[in-house]
Amino acid sequence: MEEYDVPSAASILASVKEQEARFERLTRALEEERRNVSLQLERGSLPSDRLVGGTTGGSNQPLAWQQMVMQEQSPSNQTSLAMMQEPQEVVEETVTIEEDPGTPTSHVSVVTSDDGTTRRTETKVTKMVKTVTTRTVRQLPLGPDGLPLPEGSSPLGSYTDSIDRRYMKNGERFITPQATSTLTRSYNNYSDSYNDTPDSQFRHYALHDGYGDVADNYGSLSRGVNYRPYRPYMPTGGYRPENSYTLPIRKDDYGHVAQPQVPMGSSTVDLNRSQPERFQAEPYGLEDDRRSLGPDDEEPYDLEPDYSTANRRTLPGRTIREPLRNGPRVRGYEDPIEAELIDERHPYIHGMYPAPLAQPERGSLASLDRMGGRRSPSIDSIRKDPRWRDPDLPEVIAMLGHPIDPVKSNAAAYLQHLCYENDKIKKDVRQLKGIPVLVGLLDHPKPEVHRKACGALRNISYGKDHDNKVAIKSCDGIPALIRLLRKTNDMEVRELITGTLWNLSSYEPLKMVIINHGLQTMTNEVIIPHSGWEHEPNEDSKPRDAEWTTVFKNTSGCLRNVSSDGAEARRRLRECEGLVDALLHALQSAVGKKDMDNKSVENCVCIMRNLSYHVHKEVPGAEKFQDPSALQGPGSAGTQRKKKDDAGCFGGKKAKEEWFNQGRKNGEHDKNYDTLDLPKRTEPTKGFELLYQPEVVRLYLSLLTESQNYNTLEAAAGALQNLSAGQWTWSNYIRATVRKEKGLPILVELLRSDSDKVVRAVAIALRNLSIDRRNKDLIGSYAMRDLVSNLPSGQQRPAKNLEEDTVVAILNTIHEIITDSSENARSLVTAQAIDKLVAINRTSQSARETKAASHVLQTVWSYKELRNALTKDGWNKTHFQPIAAGTPKGSKSCKPGYDDTTLPLMEKNQGNRGCSAGDMIPMDELGPDGYSTIDQRDKDSKYKSSDGSSDLQEREPLKNDTNRKHYIRSNRPTVSLVDACDVKPQPVDSWV
Amino acid sequence: MSFIPGQPVTAVVQRIEIHKLRDGDNLILGFSIGGGIDQDSSQNPFSEDKTDKGIYVTRISKGGPAEVAGLKMGDKIMQVNGWDMTMVTHDQARKKLTRKNEDVVRLLVTRKSLENVVRQSMMQH
Repeated sequence: MEEYDVPSAASILASVKEQEARFERLTRALEEERRNVSLQLERGSLPSDRLVGGTTGGSNQPLAWQQMVMQEQSPSNQTSLAMMQEPQEVVEETVTIEEDPGTPTSHVSVVTSDDGTTRRTETKVTKMVKTVTTRTVRQLPLGPDGLPLPEGSSPLGSYTDSIDRRYMKNGERFITPQATSTLTRSYNNYSDSYNDTPDSQFRHYALHDGYGDVADNYGSLSRGVNYRPYRPYMPTGGYRPENSYTLPIRKDDYGHVAQPQVPMGSSTVDLNRSQPERFQAEPYGLEDDRRSLGPDDEEPYDLEPDYSTANRRTLPGRTIREPLRNGPRVRGYEDPIEAELIDERHPYIHGMYPAPLAQPERGSLASLDRMGGRRSPSIDSIRKDPRWRDPDLPEVIAMLGHPIDPVKSNAAAYLQHLCYENDKIKKDVRQLKGIPVLVGLLDHPKPEVHRKACGALRNISYGKDHDNKVAIKSCDGIPALIRLLRKTNDMEVRELITGTLWNLSSYEPLKMVIINHGLQTMTNEVIIPHSGWEHEPNEDSKPRDAEWTTVFKNTSGCLRNVSSDGAEARRRLRECEGLVDALLHALQSAVGKKDMDNKSVENCVCIMRNLSYHVHKEVPGAEKFQDPSALQGPGSAGTQRKKKDDAGCFGGKKAKEEWFNQGRKNGEHDKNYDTLDLPKRTEPTKGFELLYQPEVVRLYLSLLTESQNYNTLEAAAGALQNLSAGQWTWSNYIRATVRKEKGLPILVELLRSDSDKVVRAVAIALRNLSIDRRNKDLIGSYAMRDLVSNLPSGQQRPAKNLEEDTVVAILNTIHEIITDSSENARSLVTAQAIDKLVAINRTSQSARETKAASHVLQTVWSYKELRNALTKDGWNKTHFQPIAAGTPKGSKSCKPGYDDTTLPLMEKNQGNRGCSAGDMIPMDELGPDGYSTIDQRDKDSKYKSSDGSSDLQEREPLKNDTNRKHYIRSNRPTVSLVDACDVKPQPVDSWV
Repeated sequence: MSFIPGQPVTAVVQRIEIHKLRDGDNLILGFSIGGGIDQDSSQNPFSEDKTDKGIYVTRISKGGPAEVAGLKMGDKIMQVNGWDMTMVTHDQARKKLTRKNEDVVRLLVTRKSLENVVRQSMMQH
């Protein structure tokens, strides 16, 4: 230490002048970079700590060490890692469809107000489109925050670059060292700096600063990196030994990080290893470390008085610094941390910071000493022997209650570090009653303290051990987090809070608690501001785009989890003011910018999907839209504005009269046929009503078209599935709108997806969409082949090897499509599905698949006009009878006619036309058989639970065939008509 | 009845005045329209001439303002408040009919027997 002083003082002074010129040049650059890094800076709390340590460091080395240690395990890094991991825990509800088959028809005046709706949407879309470039830029700064790998990586990259410039060799190393970067490294640096000329020292400082920032984000790793770069000269030897202390931990971190932030982790590791520095751990080096490690208290950017940020910023500081410091280097390093945050990229800045470094924050150091009381010996030993002892867990937890704030924050930071990816320690912390103390620190006025406490809680809350989550909740941690979220403007803290909440939200029993305490706050504080949505948009101002910040990602992830907590949770979210509006805006922004593969978009779509579930049952006033026929009566206008739909206002019967259906009794069945007359709105829709407006169809279809993210695809298809379920006015609109927006081909295309869950969601969506008669005809014509190709043939599964749920979903969809449509049944036969169906029916290991296939076969056989063709193909009745349940006949022996059923089928329409168009069968009679939607619903909901039983099969015994056929015939006329019309654009009909 | 560009139109026209019904923020006429120059005229069940791209009344809500005013299904709308409706898009027609600042709509319509129209449309199919 002493040695340093002598050389350093002299050298520093000399160097100062030389670098003066440089500084000015760099100053400008720094300004720019500061802006860029501003986000990062906020987070970089470490620097301040370091500064403190540095100042005192000269005299109080032991203390400094302790502090150093604490910081090394900097929570921030870990946190980010932890965050990343969490997403996995996300729970989603796959809500599915429901429908009331029985009353499919009537009402709704269907017709199209295509023009109106479509156009609106389009305009939105166009607006949305904006340059992506801005986004990337933003992300860079965000990177430090960290969670997202790319972000993290980017910042590192920048850092490295700067480093490289200065120290070309080191550049790469920077990243790596972070993990290891423990006290030792810092020590090395110090020594190096001292050894070097004053200039070099400055640089070193500078580096620290830059890295310091990084460190905050990445925790210990970054620091380490910093050191190394600085001292390219330094022999690695010194570092490594030191590293060894911390390394293990860090490594873990990396490993963790690796998942989410692969790039960073890998790079860091390499660097550490790659850079062998000859440096030997010098005593000085240790000191340096302390500084850097030093109490990471205040955020550098915040410029807390303690650290005299002003000094830091002032370049001239260097000169000052010497006098100020007892141990100049130490301070220098400390300063660097703060400064670093600012300039990570600018090596030169270092010089400037030295001055700030000068400011000794004794508080921190002092605290260290005190803390050290017990440990001081260890610290001393550390100096002498790099292998000093880390405080044990009870000690750390005890330090959380230490009267000195820096001690608290360091202890919390250390805890975060310890807990990273270490379930055992998390459990120990819980059992040592550490969690309530950490929660208590959330209300601590000092940012450094509550930030570190929050970081520790985030790591603790991560993992499968729900007891930790419960422990946080039990001591009112959730309200405390929410309070802090309201209170703080520090981005890093907000990320930590929302990350913690995301973790907590993965545990079912906590979801409602989070909703109760934090829903509106999260919406107001994060979702709305980051979504770009504005309550009352200024006419002049351009609509803002969503910002895919880490905070937004975390918060949307949290809401995504809680949105799956049942009807009450959905109700709360739907009614949360501004939430749906903001989510929708964010998604539209994503579509506009063609940036929809990120996690935030996924989260948003999943929330929308979940909130769309059972919307027709759960939304206030939904009953008014229920059955169109019920809506009849002029005065029935609902309370809701949208209610304007024709059926609602004027009576469903009239609505049925459409271009083609006029005069036909059957028209009733087909009311959905043509187009829907979408309600005209005088005032913009808002709130949960947005969930089911036909405008959302285009949004989801855009996502289905553009996104590469399977989860997003599944969620978007699931949203359409949910919205198209049920028999209420809006689902009718949705079904028709999907068709008009040319969504059916998009969905059919996705049947070829490699993702099982996407196929499943799409299949179910198609089934719900086929409640619309016209959709059914179209889907039967164009989707049958893709549906069938997804079925396993015999015992060999298709290449995709779809899960049972998916196969069952496809079978159910096929059943829905061929029900009441001999045309579609014929398409099914033409698609050579009978082979597969029979094979599934006879050989599938899955009872559910067998049932579903059997059900389809029964339906096929129920079309007498098809039997001829089927017989020619070698099939007979036994093939179509349920093997297990329905058919007493054991004759399963029938050979599947693998000859193909390519024979020409009877003309589709023959039978149909033969039937008198006049036969009107009440929809009710068709009941479940016709639409079997109810069953499907049940089934769908069961999907989640994974025990879907195909109700359909049970319902329809073959015996019913006769009745069924009867119905079918009656329907045929419509069917044929439909077919004829399908090709043509549908006539538009608008209520006025 | 059908309108052929460049040809004089001869038709028996009737003036109908409809007072919009206020339903909350909405003004309701109580009928629906089909057709327009952007629509497939061949699907219009009401027109004699399947190339007629005029605007037709396709549905009337029972008890609604349009029915009260005497509008019939199948009526072809020639004018709305003096605006020509024989060469407009569907949406243009809709907008002319649904202007928020107009409580009264005066239509000029031509009419054929509804049954006749229906029969024709049926036969087509």
